[in-house]
Amino acid sequence: MSPEQIMLIPKIENGFVLDHIPTGSGVKVLNLIRGHAELNESVISVGLHYTSRRLGRKDLIKIQSRELPQRFLQHLSLVVPGVTIKRVENYAVAQKIVLEPPELVDNLLSCPNPGCITNHERGVTTCFHLVRREPMKFRCNHCERRFALSELENRLKL
Amino acid sequence: MKRDLISIEDLNEKQLRDYIEFGRKIDGMSHEACRQILAGRILGVLFYEPSTRTRLSFEAAMLRMGGQIIGFSEALNTSVAKGESLADTIRTVERYCDAIVIRHPREGAARLAAEISRVPVINAGDGANQHPTQTLLDLYTLQNLFGRVDGLRVALVGDLKYSRTVHSLFHALARFKDVRFRFVSPETLRMPEYVIEATEGSAAEIAETTNFEEAIADSDVIYMTRIQRERFPDPLEYEKVKDAYRLDRSALKHAPSHLKVLHPLPRVNEIATDVDSTQHAAYFPQAGYGMVMRQGILAHLLGGKL
Repeated sequence: MSPEQIMLIPKIENGFVLDHIPTGSGVKVLNLIRGHAELNESVISVGLHYTSRRLGRKDLIKIQSRELPQRFLQHLSLVVPGVTIKRVENYAVAQKIVLEPPELVDNLLSCPNPGCITNHERGVTTCFHLVRREPMKFRCNHCERRFALSELENRLKL
Repeated sequence: MKRDLISIEDLNEKQLRDYIEFGRKIDGMSHEACRQILAGRILGVLFYEPSTRTRLSFEAAMLRMGGQIIGFSEALNTSVAKGESLADTIRTVERYCDAIVIRHPREGAARLAAEISRVPVINAGDGANQHPTQTLLDLYTLQNLFGRVDGLRVALVGDLKYSRTVHSLFHALARFKDVRFRFVSPETLRMPEYVIEATEGSAAEIAETTNFEEAIADSDVIYMTRIQRERFPDPLEYEKVKDAYRLDRSALKHAPSHLKVLHPLPRVNEIATDVDSTQHAAYFPQAGYGMVMRQGILAHLLGGKL
């Protein structure tokens, strides 16, 4: 292996690679991982500013874990929509999916509208619907306001 | 399944037309027949915020159909003041009545109430969000004044940025056929892009202007709203525009004879009192149609026989 080919981030035997994270968003994903207790014991490797043919630059995160919790995946789809997830078994990619945000976001977010009733009642379940794809917009089922994804990524209910 | 009325956005064209029809049916009934429709039923009226027309017309509507009312018109003297959650209030009140009308300062409150309640919930205003019965009564008023809603030329005038009434009315009218809109407002209070964007797919024809005179000469309906001083960060800006969107008798000199002026009320000074006696003034009849429309709404949601 030539020095150029040496990976700066170790290969993993089993686990997941979160690939094609837009550069700069790797840290957000790392914070998200920290927010999910099930992943707190997992070994994590982080690579920032890798060269990417598709994105120019990208971030990349490897998680040595047997599985990724459903709720983590749903949150991830809102923080970095379009991220690629590769499941690794015995050092080889066993499965690869591209993660898109759900049409219905069920109790994953709190509403950014301070006047929304969901921010004033105890134990209320929130719900957002994807109402537009380009640019992506979600609508709160309660206050009916529409939000861009960038307005929602800090509102994850962890 | 229980029926609620929470948002105009939940209603398609057919449902909007159906509601107008419920109003017409009520209007065609004798007082005696009307008193049977909801006899023995109880309406819970939960007003967390003050209101004149909406609350009184709901109460009158229920009484005229033989029903009764319970409720409050301010939250001060209720358990709410002790910190009771809306959810708990609804879980209690739904056991006392057959339907709930709610006005609440928080956006989405009526939707939340409907999720919890086993009896129908009607939104009588949730903060800056929705006031669907106002929109339905506006449609019903147009139907009564013109015999149709389709094809009308409607000028929405004044504060188009913050007025939830015009946003909902615009969305509802955009579902009818060939309604042409003119948005008349100061530059700073233009109809927001997101409100227009939400009608994607409708073929509504829209013209934006700051010229009120031209709109008066070339519309069937002038829908006035109040321009509130507190919306302007610079008081000078307010002084500049406040009179430009004020309607008085002389401004109606070149109006077509069939032109009607509507206003959700209360008005302050955006319509001069000298307009009241003209053939164009329709805002008090509009308030009257409000009661009939609310009778239709209650009868429909409570399963009353029309």
